[in-house]
Amino acid sequence: MRRGFLPLVLMTALIVALGAYAEVHSSVFLSKSNLNSLLLQSMPLIIVSFGQAVALLVGGFDVSVAALMTMCVVVASFTLTPTTTGLAIIPGVLAVVGVGIGAGVCNAFLIRVLQLPSIVATLGTLSVLEGLSLLLRGYPQGPINTNVTGKLVTSVGFLPVAFIGVVILATLADGWLYRSRAGLALRGVGLDARSSRRLGMSTSLVVVLAFVVCSLMAAFAGFYLAAEVQVGSPIIGNQALESIAAAVLGGASLAGGKGSFVGTLLAAFFLTEINNVLPLFQEPAEYADMTIGVLILLALVLYQAPELVERLRSVRRRVGTTPDAHGEAPA
Amino acid sequence: MTTSIPGPELPQVLSVRGASKAFGAVQALSNVSVDCRAGEIHALVGENGSGKSTLLGIASGSVAPDEGSVQIGQQALTRHTPAAARRLGVGIAYQDYSHVLGLSVAENIYLAVPSDARPRYGRMEQWAAETLATFKLDISASAAAASLSLADRQLLEVAKALLTRPKVLLLDEPTTALGPDAVEQLHTLVLERVQSGVGVLYVSHRLPEVLAVADRVTVLRDGVGQGTFDAATVSEDALVALMIGRPLTVAFPERDPLPEQARVLLELTGLQGDRFGPVDLVVRKGEILGIAGAEGNGQVPFLRALAGIEPATGGASCDGVQFDRRSPAGPLRAGVVLLSGDRRGEALFPVLSVRANATIQVLRRLGRGGIVPRAAERNAISSLVERLRVRMASTEQPVQSLSGGNQQKVSLIRPFLRGDVKVILAEEPTQGVDVGARFDIYEALRAKADEGVATVVKSSDPIELAGICDRVVVMSRGRIVQEIPRHELGERRIVEAIVGSRASVADKTAEASAP
Repeated sequence: MRRGFLPLVLMTALIVALGAYAEVHSSVFLSKSNLNSLLLQSMPLIIVSFGQAVALLVGGFDVSVAALMTMCVVVASFTLTPTTTGLAIIPGVLAVVGVGIGAGVCNAFLIRVLQLPSIVATLGTLSVLEGLSLLLRGYPQGPINTNVTGKLVTSVGFLPVAFIGVVILATLADGWLYRSRAGLALRGVGLDARSSRRLGMSTSLVVVLAFVVCSLMAAFAGFYLAAEVQVGSPIIGNQALESIAAAVLGGASLAGGKGSFVGTLLAAFFLTEINNVLPLFQEPAEYADMTIGVLILLALVLYQAPELVERLRSVRRRVGTTPDAHGEAPA
Repeated sequence: MTTSIPGPELPQVLSVRGASKAFGAVQALSNVSVDCRAGEIHALVGENGSGKSTLLGIASGSVAPDEGSVQIGQQALTRHTPAAARRLGVGIAYQDYSHVLGLSVAENIYLAVPSDARPRYGRMEQWAAETLATFKLDISASAAAASLSLADRQLLEVAKALLTRPKVLLLDEPTTALGPDAVEQLHTLVLERVQSGVGVLYVSHRLPEVLAVADRVTVLRDGVGQGTFDAATVSEDALVALMIGRPLTVAFPERDPLPEQARVLLELTGLQGDRFGPVDLVVRKGEILGIAGAEGNGQVPFLRALAGIEPATGGASCDGVQFDRRSPAGPLRAGVVLLSGDRRGEALFPVLSVRANATIQVLRRLGRGGIVPRAAERNAISSLVERLRVRMASTEQPVQSLSGGNQQKVSLIRPFLRGDVKVILAEEPTQGVDVGARFDIYEALRAKADEGVATVVKSSDPIELAGICDRVVVMSRGRIVQEIPRHELGERRIVEAIVGSRASVADKTAEASAP
């Protein structure tokens, strides 16, 4: 991972610093109930940011995730109503997951087959999904089965079981990404698709899978969003930019090939923490947005500083060695 | 094929039959057949653009032929992907590499070998170090691939191709960044594999180098096979004769001899960048200097460095004054103008009109108080549009709707509009330009030269260089290795200089470069 630890250290430090500051100024911050609700609040963003990190790893963006999460909540309000019980829950859940996979396949098709830039393609799906949600539910209505969503938010003490789950998932995923052949191949495709193709990798398959996984994670995040709002609201998902912010703060490169799931988890938690803490001081929410923006800029500069220094050094070193063949089209 | 050598009864490891490929209107390859037997080195030679790379692309699965078939071992290549060709036993070293620069050397080697040859992930670095040692490469396995020198990148590329245990190895200009010792090292590596039965298809424009190791040679010209010959008996002269000889289709403008003591306008001393140099060169007032060379020998980075787009060290002065090359603005202020070969990406604004593209550098002069009257713009360009014979419906037409030749003419209007141009750097001024428009472009360049501009033309077409230049220098491995004066200029002379450059020639730069 080499320099990969910088985001983890930075995010942990920020989480602790903000927490300590909050605790000093408001004694409720470290209360069990606040911690529990903070962790639960962070679940949708954490899960969708994992997906976003995968899309960023192959050098793409997915801005449709927020609309997809909303769509999943809306679909759940039809398929997982309070009257859905027993085995009927399974098709209800599958319907939501199916919407996620469908959106992912659609994105992958636009990006890979029609060769649209991912940001444009997913912007299109974003609008379509938003429209569909509003078509299905013109205003928040349709309660969602709390027996189902309640299971998702089960906690041991103040720790939600699901949070333990995503910590384990992130650790395993990072291990996979940096300590396995498949993870290396994924990073290779993200860093340099042309070379990867030349080395015999199926770059198309990797990109398609990445976008399907991204949408699938958004669907899972949709379940946690449903647990939070408990009603088929067509206007709630706004995590698109935050999920990109979390992945980038967690160490992902917009150029692809780099990222960390643990870092993404910490960053997503931190972003939720900002939103959670500011009301404790009766600060207006605008400050949260501005803080997030400034932090992303600072983090990007900080993460790229070593690369910038390295690049400057290597230019200086390479001038005066061998001439080159590279960079001109072959005959 | 005009001649074919019966040769010993060895199995064919590669056979390309009747391959044709067109890119747009350009027929890159027509009905070319070439084969490679186990244990032989088969050289493929030809000028820039003769179709060598396209043929390699077809053999390696990255280019799907329009017609023709590929057999690897005894199996037909049915899906044209690099992965499919690899599975059948093709290893290829690309001219522009297949390294993932963001990963380490070890990770790159790991990705390059077939999955059944990979060790456990945890043993990767140790395994990679051992692998590099068997190739006698002095490269650290833990180093970042991006930190390797260009020569090491090239050697690593060949090593990676060999690691796939290919039946046939394709080498695309594998020595462009290598010095004489490294060429020797590379040939030793390749010959070892040849002895164990690997067939090699070796593309190179360096005839002496490739003839030293090849068994057979196939010549391509304009995408057409010119025959296959026994390397031991064919002479360099005979090969050059087959490589050149394209029918002359364009006329060139008249050239008057340069005055003896024409003033030096562009003077370079020890100009050196990442991929070229050091270059010492002078270009005189009214002179058109040609830059020849096989693609990828530093010509383009050299021009770009001169125009302030790439970093370089050393001195460059225009009309006696050193100019600032830290950004393109410095050379422009000094009167040094680059006509980029990438017309869509760099030279023009494709969606803007002919008028806007032509006047964009002189708006300050045409405008009054920040407002540019359309009439002033139209007056400024109307005579030039006629003089350069730009064919279009109106000056308000978007440049992207014009043909390639007319687009190039629009970018040529700019140096005519600016009164202050002293040096024009033209990169492939007629690439993708139809025959009719070529003469107009040559004439425009010559007209500028006659007005006293010093011009540098980088072209991959030796006929063009022989036709329009007053002097041609040949670049190899980033350095000027030969200078051809006006009275010797000819297609054959230029091609001989390009293909004759051995690795050792690079060391003679000092004597060979301009006065």
